[in-house]
Amino acid sequence: MPDSRAHLWFVGPALILMVLILLLPILVAAGLSFTSYSLGNPGAEFVGLENYEKIFTRSTYEKMFGATFRYVFVVVPLSVGLGLGAALLINSTNRFGDLYKTIYFLPVMAALIAMAIVWEFAFHPTIGIVNSTLERGCGSFLEAWGWFAHGCERGFPLWLTDRDYAIWTVAFIGVWQGFGFNMVLYLAGLTSVPRELYHAAEMDGARTAWDRFRLVKWPMLGPTTVFVVTISFIRSFQVFDTVEAFYPQGGGPSKSVYVMMFAIYEKAIQQNLMGIGAAITVVFLGFVMFLTLIQRWLVERRVHYS
Amino acid sequence: MSDTALSQPGAVSVPSFRFSSAETLKHVVLILGSLIVLLPFYVMVSYSFKSPAEIMQNTGGFFGAQELFRDDYCIKLGRDVADCMVTPVIYNYSTAFEKAPLLRYLFNGVVVTASIFFIQVLVALPCAYALAKLRFWGREAVFGLVLFCLLIPVHAIALPLYIMLAKLGLTNSYAALVIPWTISVFGIFLMRQFFMTVPDDLIDAARMDGMSEFSIIWNVMLPTAIPALLAFAIFSVVAHWNDYFWPRIVITGDRSLFTPPLGLREFKGDADGDNFGPMMATATIIVLPLIVAFLVAQRRFIEGITLSGMK
Repeated sequence: MPDSRAHLWFVGPALILMVLILLLPILVAAGLSFTSYSLGNPGAEFVGLENYEKIFTRSTYEKMFGATFRYVFVVVPLSVGLGLGAALLINSTNRFGDLYKTIYFLPVMAALIAMAIVWEFAFHPTIGIVNSTLERGCGSFLEAWGWFAHGCERGFPLWLTDRDYAIWTVAFIGVWQGFGFNMVLYLAGLTSVPRELYHAAEMDGARTAWDRFRLVKWPMLGPTTVFVVTISFIRSFQVFDTVEAFYPQGGGPSKSVYVMMFAIYEKAIQQNLMGIGAAITVVFLGFVMFLTLIQRWLVERRVHYS
Repeated sequence: MSDTALSQPGAVSVPSFRFSSAETLKHVVLILGSLIVLLPFYVMVSYSFKSPAEIMQNTGGFFGAQELFRDDYCIKLGRDVADCMVTPVIYNYSTAFEKAPLLRYLFNGVVVTASIFFIQVLVALPCAYALAKLRFWGREAVFGLVLFCLLIPVHAIALPLYIMLAKLGLTNSYAALVIPWTISVFGIFLMRQFFMTVPDDLIDAARMDGMSEFSIIWNVMLPTAIPALLAFAIFSVVAHWNDYFWPRIVITGDRSLFTPPLGLREFKGDADGDNFGPMMATATIIVLPLIVAFLVAQRRFIEGITLSGMK
């Protein structure tokens, strides 16, 4: 080991940037969240916990949490489940696997804002392809389903502007966009399952595909699952593009799509209420860090056992 | 799995079984999934070929009939009707480039994405090398800090970053688009993990040859780290080419600094019925570069994500 100060030059820039760009802002946000600061206004006052009180008592923010959690708790399980399902199916067929993989991964590469605009057209009540396709099913066996018959009679939902459907439609787009990424991670996880394990399981009487999944694949995919779930949580907490594209005027029908990231943007950037924006930021960071710490803990626990 | 089938007695007599019910069902499910996944891409590309009337009436098939139609805007400019008849596909794509400075947006996108990646590597690579291969006081603390910073999603701290940049008078500049992304703890982490696998002998030999630590990084470590760098490049480029949130915050008004996603959004803002075609053409142009890159280098892409996905 040569005696040199080279490491200072190597680590220094990264260290400085980490402090300035990642750590300092957290402190700034924490500090501002106790004030009524707004940009260009010198008279910021210390307001104590008032901002947090607003967040946890006012109905607007109740809607914000409602929309965020609805979105997250639809997108995470579905995008992980579909990712796993697609990976298992692709892995078990002998043909066209690469083709399916390519197709399912396309949405991950495409700019979400562009695709949001396309989806908006697809969901358009009169010229959209979704409702016109559904209408074609009218008069067929599908009408046995009450919801479908109702749609044929009264018209299918205005997916994006009906408050009963809006958040689920946005969540659907989130799932559509994200599950291909999870699929690739699961495919990687599956290829690292040693062949011998299948044989061993078979000797022990695991004959059906379900047994192989339950006894071999699922346990071996544990670390992948923990990682995939965490990534999906963090990503879906940060949803913004679709919401802003569909509802630039704020949160969708009856604020049913008023997610946290949009709330931060609207309060702080559009309305220049930095204090409240900072408070939402702090709450938001709290959620994300909590989730990541759980992941760390799960992964480490697993490492010790195996 | 074919090997499990072979190990079962009787499997040999029904080799075609694999292509029947279960296998067919799998393909049915996968194909249905593919149709839903491809639907918006179909809509986007198809509409970018069609005339306004065809979009409204949902006719013309995938490519549209490509019949000439009258460009009203052109007539408003006082030109002859005969000169104003255009083919839908040409109208859509040329409007995309004419109505908004799309080329400028694409240029901005390339400049911002490339500078971000270049600076990230410049900062992260030496740091990763030091953390993996040099022993110095405080190394564990620095690595701990890297691990902690992995917890912070940069989008979440956008607001304080915005305030800091505004105080420095840097909003509405390339700097504002690039600065928050100059540090990538993920990049440091990824490359450190990779460097840990490089044998120490290689570095010792380089030192024996009288190479400085600086030249070891750029001449020895960099070439060995190409797979990791590629994985990192994929993440960085995909994230920043497609990023909408951050540009939306720091670029207000100055169109000449718009990145492609912002430009598309602007287009949407003043779109009336006739603009569906050109808008879909713009969307296609913005989405195309990464999709093409992905299709060309698919294997690399998926390997790259796999490499960095493993913790």
